[in-house]
Amino acid sequence: MLRSAGFAAVFIATATAGVAEEFTWAGTTDPQTMDPHAVNSAPVLGFLNNVYEGLLRRGKDMRIEPALATSWEPIGAGEGWRFTLRQGVTFHDGSSFDAEDVLFSYERASDESSDTRSWFASVSEVKIVDDYTVDIMTTAPNPIFPDSISNWMMLDAGWAKANDAERPDKDNGNYATLNANGTGAFRVAVREPGLRTVLEPFDGWWDETEHNITRAEFTPIQNPATAVAALLSGDVDFINPVPIQDTARLASNPEVKVVQGIEARVIMLGFPHEAEALKYSAETSDKNPFSDVRVRQAVAHAVNVPAILQTIMRGNAEEVSQLVSPAMRGYSAPLADRPAYDPDKARALLAEAGYADGFSFGLKCPNDRYLNDEAVCQAVTGMLAQVGIKATLDAMPVQNYWPELRADNYDMYLLGWSPGTFDAEHPIRFLASTPNEEKKLGSWNFGGFSNDRVDELLPLIQSEIDDAKRQAMLDESTKILQQEVAYVPLYVEPLVWGAGANIDLTQRSDNFFILRWVTVN
Amino acid sequence: MLAYVIQRVFQSAIVLLVVGLVAFSMFRFVGDPVDNMLGQERTQADIERLRTQLGLDQPFPVQYFKFLQGAAQGNFGVSYRQGRPVSDILMERAPATLELAAVSGFLAISIGIALGVFTAIRRDGFAANAIMSVSLIGVSLPTFLIGILLIYLFSVELGWLPSFGRGDTVKIGGWSTGFLTESGLKALILPSITLGLYQMTLIMRLVRSEMLEVLRQDYIRFARARGLRDRAVNFRHALKNTLVPVITVTGLQLGSIIAFAIITETVFQWPGVGLLFINAIQFVDIPVMAAYLMLISVMFVGINLIVDLLYFAIDPRLRVDRTAAH
Amino acid sequence: MADSALNTPAKERSRLRVALDSDFVYQFKKSPVAIVSAVVVLIMVFCALFAPLIAPFNPFDPASLNLMNGFSKPMEPNAFTGETFWLGTDDQGRDVFSTILYGMRISLFVGAAAVLFAMVLGITLGLIAGYVGGWVETIIMRVADVQLTFPAILVAMLIFGVAKGITPVEYRDQMAIWVLIIAIGLSDWVQFARVVRGATLVEKNKEYVQAARLIGRGSGAIMLRHILPNVLSPVLVIATISLALAIIAEATLSFLGVGAPPTQPSLGTLIRIGQGFLFSGEWWILLFPAVTLLTLALSVNLLGDWLRDALNPRLR
Repeated sequence: MLRSAGFAAVFIATATAGVAEEFTWAGTTDPQTMDPHAVNSAPVLGFLNNVYEGLLRRGKDMRIEPALATSWEPIGAGEGWRFTLRQGVTFHDGSSFDAEDVLFSYERASDESSDTRSWFASVSEVKIVDDYTVDIMTTAPNPIFPDSISNWMMLDAGWAKANDAERPDKDNGNYATLNANGTGAFRVAVREPGLRTVLEPFDGWWDETEHNITRAEFTPIQNPATAVAALLSGDVDFINPVPIQDTARLASNPEVKVVQGIEARVIMLGFPHEAEALKYSAETSDKNPFSDVRVRQAVAHAVNVPAILQTIMRGNAEEVSQLVSPAMRGYSAPLADRPAYDPDKARALLAEAGYADGFSFGLKCPNDRYLNDEAVCQAVTGMLAQVGIKATLDAMPVQNYWPELRADNYDMYLLGWSPGTFDAEHPIRFLASTPNEEKKLGSWNFGGFSNDRVDELLPLIQSEIDDAKRQAMLDESTKILQQEVAYVPLYVEPLVWGAGANIDLTQRSDNFFILRWVTVN
Repeated sequence: MLAYVIQRVFQSAIVLLVVGLVAFSMFRFVGDPVDNMLGQERTQADIERLRTQLGLDQPFPVQYFKFLQGAAQGNFGVSYRQGRPVSDILMERAPATLELAAVSGFLAISIGIALGVFTAIRRDGFAANAIMSVSLIGVSLPTFLIGILLIYLFSVELGWLPSFGRGDTVKIGGWSTGFLTESGLKALILPSITLGLYQMTLIMRLVRSEMLEVLRQDYIRFARARGLRDRAVNFRHALKNTLVPVITVTGLQLGSIIAFAIITETVFQWPGVGLLFINAIQFVDIPVMAAYLMLISVMFVGINLIVDLLYFAIDPRLRVDRTAAH
Repeated sequence: MADSALNTPAKERSRLRVALDSDFVYQFKKSPVAIVSAVVVLIMVFCALFAPLIAPFNPFDPASLNLMNGFSKPMEPNAFTGETFWLGTDDQGRDVFSTILYGMRISLFVGAAAVLFAMVLGITLGLIAGYVGGWVETIIMRVADVQLTFPAILVAMLIFGVAKGITPVEYRDQMAIWVLIIAIGLSDWVQFARVVRGATLVEKNKEYVQAARLIGRGSGAIMLRHILPNVLSPVLVIATISLALAIIAEATLSFLGVGAPPTQPSLGTLIRIGQGFLFSGEWWILLFPAVTLLTLALSVNLLGDWLRDALNPRLR
């Protein structure tokens, strides 16, 4: 009796929820601002993709498609790009969208105070041709420019001026930090930082509506176990990410489902190429074994990636041989094989390099940045110990991690890289180029890897318009990086989302959750 | 008397300053905020510019002094992460923590006293011994584990109570309360049990031992001998005399409830100041951390000061002792 | 000389006799709870001390681990390697039974060392504060206030950060353990100091202390010989309960990430790792360490409880 009464109550609750089509979701991080130009980070840009729009956007398959621009074409022989804007688009506050807003958004997003400035490094000028045509001129031919600005979002010039938010201010915040006025499918109804953000559909949206949501609420939940509990108990309809270990269990539960895919992020081991000596070694403090390519090769052969994927990642990730995943533009398909797991060969290589008795060193690792990062590092420690090189693992939260790497406090480190442009050129620019402060190259190349040919190829790759020639140069770079073992790429991070069984959604490989593709059944 | 009060207040102020300085010097070790504030495509120059802008390139005594200057005017700066004044954020978050602490405190005190009295009166009874033993389980498991187990049992397996958050809240003036909605009340249950369990055990044991002590006193024996009924003796005489030390300890414990809320709020995603603080550590949001620590310190030092002054007022022997010592 | 040497064994024996016949032991024999918890604690301490001899594997040696053994169920052969583990294995392929034994060793060591540290510090400062009085007392008790102001978690994070900055790299591995000891010890000493100071204030005005002072005994001697023995029983009770608290505190700190490293896990670290598998079906990774921690802390608590009643004759 009591049981059936409870059952009835649950039934009524779901029935009413069904009528309102309310949708609640949870993620680990709260978008820290509603300003699309203030911070260049995945949680912010991913969230704001539901509220703001750019000239173009990425579809369900990650391909770029028209959004606020209906078409675009190169000007001359690579002098720039001409964008034709969509007419009849309005912002959430009712004002209309035109070329003035594009120019304003360029000035705003490329300002000193903006975190998205680097997207416009190659832009020399933005010219208004007429109300609905804009020319963006570049200093050098830039074939991938349209690909690189899909997250450049349009703000209304009038709204920003009226509210004193003409420039992003991430230090003190301004009106745009807490309020939003985009052209996207949803508008921000309530914004309580760190607590909840409520979105409501925008009636005046220019595109066809695919979703059936009347109200959507986002709550950040840091503790993954709490998030899983919330999904299981029906308190939320969607969580991202699902802890890898809970994937199988959730998948077998009829009330929830797991949506899996491969993310753009490649997880790899990095080396101190430039260091004179090891920092954290008990006995080898006068030299740096990792400057010998044979030692780096030994590391690549010693790590049993299939075993890591089998156990720690539970079959949810794929191994990778280069700095980008196969889904990215410019991936080198002929170079897809990563060094095989071969501990004997690793030992032989070490002996050849003069380290037959091995050595000890320090491995740095974040413990809250990538999926199961600490467990992976622990496993790597074990595998390296089995070929005779003994790592001392030092795992720490990410806010301590980057400063340590910047200060060169490591003998080996774990890094994940997701190319913002979805192109193989991106990691070469940031991870493999010789660090050069002025040219903004190699800014995440902590170990100072340097190869003349790779440096020479990069500008050629950046300005090559012919796809086949470009790919040949990318292949050459990738080959050098593999031969030199600049990094040891391990696997592509999996993307695991959890949702209620009654939710239909589309997962994009950049891990952005796009609300307008959600249907509540 | 006045001289003593002034002296104690003065000492408390120094304590606060020291706490602040220690807290401030700690931030150097928590991490570096600039990486969280800049995106993947930042350059070394960006990093340096931001450090200068935030004043992070200055030695921490200078930073601390600036912080104090602001704090004296009620200005705790702007959160690095949220880009809003810290005082606004604290005001927003405080009701959640205070409501949780109040309910936990109430549960701990009422149940703690009731069980304490019961176990004292039925000292050798089976039920009393069972309660004493079971209560020890409560203090023999870490809080976070108790919280997670409660979520697992009551939210996931049974589906009775929400697994996280505060439920719906109602705004009354600047205060958001969860007391007025059904979901708000439901959401309070698990976190307040988790948070209050330890204090409850503590109060129960304290009441029991104080009560046993009092029950042995001559005047109680005398009262019994006079033929007063047990109930009257136990409650009118014994309990009343037990409560004085209990109240003192409880007062101090209330402060630690708020400090311990950090863990409970993390487990239950309770949107209070404790969670704010943990998030602030994760993002090295120095202004938020500093303000939180100052707030907690003011509270503790304040409670301590009041307790000390009360003792002084109540117990004349201490007065003699102090003057003799000086 | 010879005389006393001859006398000693006899004296010892008689002392032992006295001890065995004492009220204390009588109380102990009478309480089944005390006997059971004492036996449990002794067994656990024994297992922890001799973990390297008892444990079938050495979980601290990364070279001996086979990742493919990961997530073996208790008492069932692993699907890939065919090996069987009594209590299963964790995500790294470590035998859970062995990690618990080694983890308990660390937890007990941290707990005992932290309490010892707190006790020595607290008693010393409490005695001095109570006996000397004046501005010395004021400073000590104000420092105690400051100490109370900081939740133990924050103290630990502070010390952790500072220690990380100043420890030479080759000692980093052991550092976490010492940081835990100091952090937990520092958050605990105030209790001892307050109790000892309170008792000292009462004792120092009693006739026997006044008498000792009159016959010209030094302050140190008076504190150690006369006052200290009189405050020992509350100290003993606090120490026992603090031990349980310290073990729990270590677990909590490990949960927040400032604890023993996962390559050398304590019980708390094991629980932190295990709680990630609560929903995934690998219940043994959480359950066994949690039960061990509960058993250990509960036994120590029960013992402390009994001790308090036994040492306080008025409660009988």
